Amino acid sequence: MPNDYLLTVISNIGMISLIALSAYLLLISGEISFGQQAYFGISAYAGAIATTLWGWPLWLALLFGSSLAALAAGFVGLLTLRISGLYFSIATLAFAEMVRLSLFKLTYQIEIDGELIGPNGAEGFGEIRWIFDNDVSVLEYTLLIYGILLLVLFFLVLIERSRLGMIFRMLGQDPLLTRVQGLNPVRYKVTAAILAGFIAGLGGTLYAHSFTYIEPQIFNMMLGVHALAYGLIGGLGTVLGPLIGVAIDIGFLESVRVIQGYRMVVFGGLVALMLIFMPRGIFDEKRVYWLKSIARRWFRA
Amino acid sequence: MLEVKSLSKNFGGVKAVRELDLAVNAGDIIGVIGPNGSGKSTLVNLISGVFPATAGEIIFQGQSLSKLSPHARVKAGVARTFQNIRLFPGLTVWQNLWVARNSAEDTRAEGISYRWFRKSGPVKNEIDAMLEFSGLADKGDELASNLAFGEQRRLELARAAATKPSLLLLDEPAAGMNHDEIRDLDRRIRQLRQQGMTIILIEHVMDLVMGITDRIAVLNFGSKIAEGEPAAIQENKSVQEAYLGQSDDD
Ligand SMILES: Nc1ncnc2c1ncn2[C@@H]1O[C@H](COP(=O)(O)OP(=O)(O)O)[C@@H](O)[C@H]1O
Ligand SMILES: [Mg+2]
Repeated sequence: MPNDYLLTVISNIGMISLIALSAYLLLISGEISFGQQAYFGISAYAGAIATTLWGWPLWLALLFGSSLAALAAGFVGLLTLRISGLYFSIATLAFAEMVRLSLFKLTYQIEIDGELIGPNGAEGFGEIRWIFDNDVSVLEYTLLIYGILLLVLFFLVLIERSRLGMIFRMLGQDPLLTRVQGLNPVRYKVTAAILAGFIAGLGGTLYAHSFTYIEPQIFNMMLGVHALAYGLIGGLGTVLGPLIGVAIDIGFLESVRVIQGYRMVVFGGLVALMLIFMPRGIFDEKRVYWLKSIARRWFRA
Repeated sequence: MLEVKSLSKNFGGVKAVRELDLAVNAGDIIGVIGPNGSGKSTLVNLISGVFPATAGEIIFQGQSLSKLSPHARVKAGVARTFQNIRLFPGLTVWQNLWVARNSAEDTRAEGISYRWFRKSGPVKNEIDAMLEFSGLADKGDELASNLAFGEQRRLELARAAATKPSLLLLDEPAAGMNHDEIRDLDRRIRQLRQQGMTIILIEHVMDLVMGITDRIAVLNFGSKIAEGEPAAIQENKSVQEAYLGQSDDD
């Protein structure tokens, strides 16, 4: 049993890392989104409906949920990215609340084996039985989560090495200068929003099938705020930054018993301290650059 | 090549630029001088499209710029530097130049083959030449934010030039420079003109402006109070009163 508990923590870190990465992608592009939980939630519901009610295989449900999330993110992006800064942040939060409140109203149940199954408003959506029906063990499912996480990381590293990634960072550093380099910011910000929506979506569908029960309340603002905080703690200089943030929060703060009751206090204090002393996180651009140049020297020697 | 026609810009009650007319011929270096707050930077911002004009028109190579966004103006051939240096601090020197060069022409294919296979092509060589031009040849892999002030200024000039503009707007490029650095800057600006760029030079350093420009326009409180060849401007009474007199007296 303790083994299973450990695996649950580890798989939780993997799934939450995906929403943290999605917030990170927007952060490096200079946009603070308080609403990535919306895409996580949309995909959690859509993916779970696809496997549980329509009998789709998980991989297809993952693609479906994440694409739907990406579509929604692109739509919200087009509407809001022309406004920037605080207004953008508030708009993303408003949209996410809209999604959450709509999920309270979402009832779509089908009788399966004499039982009504499907999302039922505030009651939530249980019996997401794909794992049991397919005899997937906790270990196997954890491996699946990490396989997908690795794919996403690989993809993000590719982006960071590409022109697109450079433009994302340019937008984050100086949007006006980016325009004065002949680049249309809206186009790239929408691209970032769509990619971020898709990545959050992957986390959502995986989450629904891991916990086998979801309810609208899970996808509230605190999830989005945490997703943001992870990148800000771990650092915005590398894709590993948000993962380190998640590991610190879920791996350390949640697991250490003494902290239990004070977890939110400790976490909030940590975020505040970070914002004051390391505003772009532990592994920010400068430290990553420094580490890379040390590594390069090592390789040459 | 550039025609500014009764251009005005108000910020609330402040009339930063008032009915300004300015004509620039291809290949010229035009100086724009004037006391602080006389509207010089605002003029650069209007031409580069940072904000829209309140009234008037800017015609660049026969085309009105007013409908064009800042990025479209860069594509049309207008580049600029900023009075307060603006670089991408988190990108390396080389990357700063590469993204700028990229806006002149799609260099993605070469970028990919360079990053992944270390194969250098014409763009890579061009950027190396630009580093040479800026005296930054050994700093290519340095983060822009790690450069010294003078080096950042040089990089900013190279970055603007890398977009291959036909019109280059320089907003006080000599600010904070010592004598030797100003001489270097003088040489670089002349080199850029030789490459075919038309240049509008906003500057306080009179030695530089008087020596290098073909014509000078003088602004005061947003209006043009004089225009002419450097020697004539130096003699001009109202200019001396508005501007040159200020610093000569103390
Ligand atoms: N973005 C702005 N918002 C409000 N006022 C501005 C802005 N930019 C410039 N101004 C005002 O316009 C006037 C001209 O400023 P500026 O063009 O920067 O002068 P210069 O570059 O000649 O020193 C000043 O009074 C300045 O305060
Ligand atoms: Mg100025």
